[in-house]
Amino acid sequence: MESWLEWARGPAFRFAFAFMILGLIRHVAITAWEIGRVMHRAGDRSFPAKAVFKATLNWLFPIGNLRSRLAYSLTSVAFHISIILTPILLAGHLALVQRGIGFRWPAIPNLLADVLTLVAVATSVALILQRALARDTRSLSRFGDYIIPALIALPFASGYLAMHGWINPFPFEVTLFVHVMSANLVMILVPITKLSHAALLPGTQVVSEAAWHWPIDSGSKVAVALGKENEPI
Amino acid sequence: MSERKYSYYIEDKAKTAVDRPRRFLEAFAAVLEHSSYRVALDAYTRMSAKCSRCASSCQLFEATADPRDIPCRRSEMLFRVYRRYFTPGGATRARLLGGFTLDEDYIDAMAEEYYRCTACRRCRKACPIGIDHGLVTHLARYLLSEAGVVPKALVVAVREQLQGVGNTSGIPVPALQDTCEFLQEEFRDIYNADVRFPIDVEGAEYVFFPAVSDYLLEPDTLMGNAAVMHFSQGSWTIGTANFDGINYGLFYSDRVMERICKKVAEEVKRLKGRKVLVGECGHATRSAWMLPAFLGADAPPVVNFLQYTCQAIQEGKLPLKGNAIEERVTYHDPCNIARAGRITEEPREILNAICQDFVEMTPNRTENYCCGGGGGTVSIDEIRAFRTKTMGKRKADQIRATGAKIVVAPCANCKKQLREVCEDNGLEDVQVVGLHDLVLKALDFGTEKKSEGRN
Repeated sequence: MESWLEWARGPAFRFAFAFMILGLIRHVAITAWEIGRVMHRAGDRSFPAKAVFKATLNWLFPIGNLRSRLAYSLTSVAFHISIILTPILLAGHLALVQRGIGFRWPAIPNLLADVLTLVAVATSVALILQRALARDTRSLSRFGDYIIPALIALPFASGYLAMHGWINPFPFEVTLFVHVMSANLVMILVPITKLSHAALLPGTQVVSEAAWHWPIDSGSKVAVALGKENEPI
Repeated sequence: MSERKYSYYIEDKAKTAVDRPRRFLEAFAAVLEHSSYRVALDAYTRMSAKCSRCASSCQLFEATADPRDIPCRRSEMLFRVYRRYFTPGGATRARLLGGFTLDEDYIDAMAEEYYRCTACRRCRKACPIGIDHGLVTHLARYLLSEAGVVPKALVVAVREQLQGVGNTSGIPVPALQDTCEFLQEEFRDIYNADVRFPIDVEGAEYVFFPAVSDYLLEPDTLMGNAAVMHFSQGSWTIGTANFDGINYGLFYSDRVMERICKKVAEEVKRLKGRKVLVGECGHATRSAWMLPAFLGADAPPVVNFLQYTCQAIQEGKLPLKGNAIEERVTYHDPCNIARAGRITEEPREILNAICQDFVEMTPNRTENYCCGGGGGTVSIDEIRAFRTKTMGKRKADQIRATGAKIVVAPCANCKKQLREVCEDNGLEDVQVVGLHDLVLKALDFGTEKKSEGRN
């Protein structure tokens, strides 16, 4: 088990982490390049930057948008805050960071981390239930939409058990192995599933605006490509 | 009467079209190559979280509670085609695992769904991911049109505009001239004023493009427009080669939209005018704003009449009788000018200057509800029940809640739709008018109004 754990924390973690970071960088770079290309060849290069920036901030910090679908919105915000903050501010993780790269940033108190971890698990389950119980979301959802929050809950639940041995029915090392490997799996999924919004979300308002900025004569070029330039209406 | 394939009529030749999936996909490939939709589709298809938050912002879903009317679900129909045929992952998956294939039935399903949406874009503001479902509807209709699916009402009007008489209402130039002369006489008879409708004047600052149907249906709006130009001593003209601001290309085809936009620019050039002045029409304004998209930096600047009149009031050029309109008035924001926040305050400034009792609908401005006839659906008479009862119910409730007896809607499409909404929802005593209809009433011509020349 010891060697399995070493493998999970070592090469497997390094691979998953690099896969996530490089995958997200690739997404951002391609998107930024595409936006640049679109605007460069656009007939109308004016861009409502202020409104787009406002809309972007509005969704990165969606305080003003909680009213509609209050329960769902609160669950979602609590979910995002807890799953983002806990792993990067947990004292135990930061000790590993210190060992790995020689410096660390301040941690949050362990008690707060415990609370956030429980919030992460509870809100993941709540998101799945809300999805399954509301008729409109249920009709939209596929397998992946249910499994992703469940997978995200796994490292938090196992991490909590690992930190609180007296309530943990499983052996410590097995728990830790599940914790690390499930986190690795989530990291690998980030760039290849809808979780890629982790890096792409700040750009979507820009993308939605840029997509309306077509090259000059875009319609007639389509007509030529389809051989329809002389076709009557 | 021919049988309906969809909720709306399509042309006979479209019913016998073959090979539509192939044509749809070929068009999709060409459009991706020569437009900018790909950048959005790439992002949307990766991230669509399917949280259904958009559902709570959609007046259609609110009315039907039918999952098919969730904006995200509708957009997913096109995303599925995009993923399968235009992303490496989707193509590989299809090769290995089989699964989704675009077929005739799927085209039929899209043809129905994408014309249930009015592309009002209200849901865009509700999507945490930032997906513009209006853009997806716009693109899907474009591709459907290349496969032969367009509501007959839209394509017939466009044919008249581009290949027939030259405008969507089929008004010949002599009839336009007669109308303008008649309205000038009205000004003399009713107001004892010499207000002109200048035709084909070269070198004017503004070339005027109203919704051409105004010449048939909205004399008061046109007279209000002309009176504002008269008092502000604006330099304007109506061009006989093209006097139609309507652009149904916005509703179903960028190819068509480009041709109509270019026709507008040509007329401005022919008359050596400097700017496009769009009348009271939402989609005409939004499609005129697209002029630079098709023409680049050479495109003439575009001014909507509400902006012009508001500025004239600010500069003190209009002799307005304050509080001239005594009845309670409310204002409907046309999606095409208000959703992105481009024209929301000007009409309110004008109304506050002339109305005693102006009340807002809730919600309003960028959060407004669509009249229910957006995206060209107002022209499709055969879906009136859907438009006024299902789509328009929310609007009827909004109007009722204000207690106003006059609804101002500076948009030809919204006006037609709102009149039908009022008729079909027990609001017969509510009058739907253009903004310049009221401006006309509030202008002080310095003469006693003689009589109502016409009713």
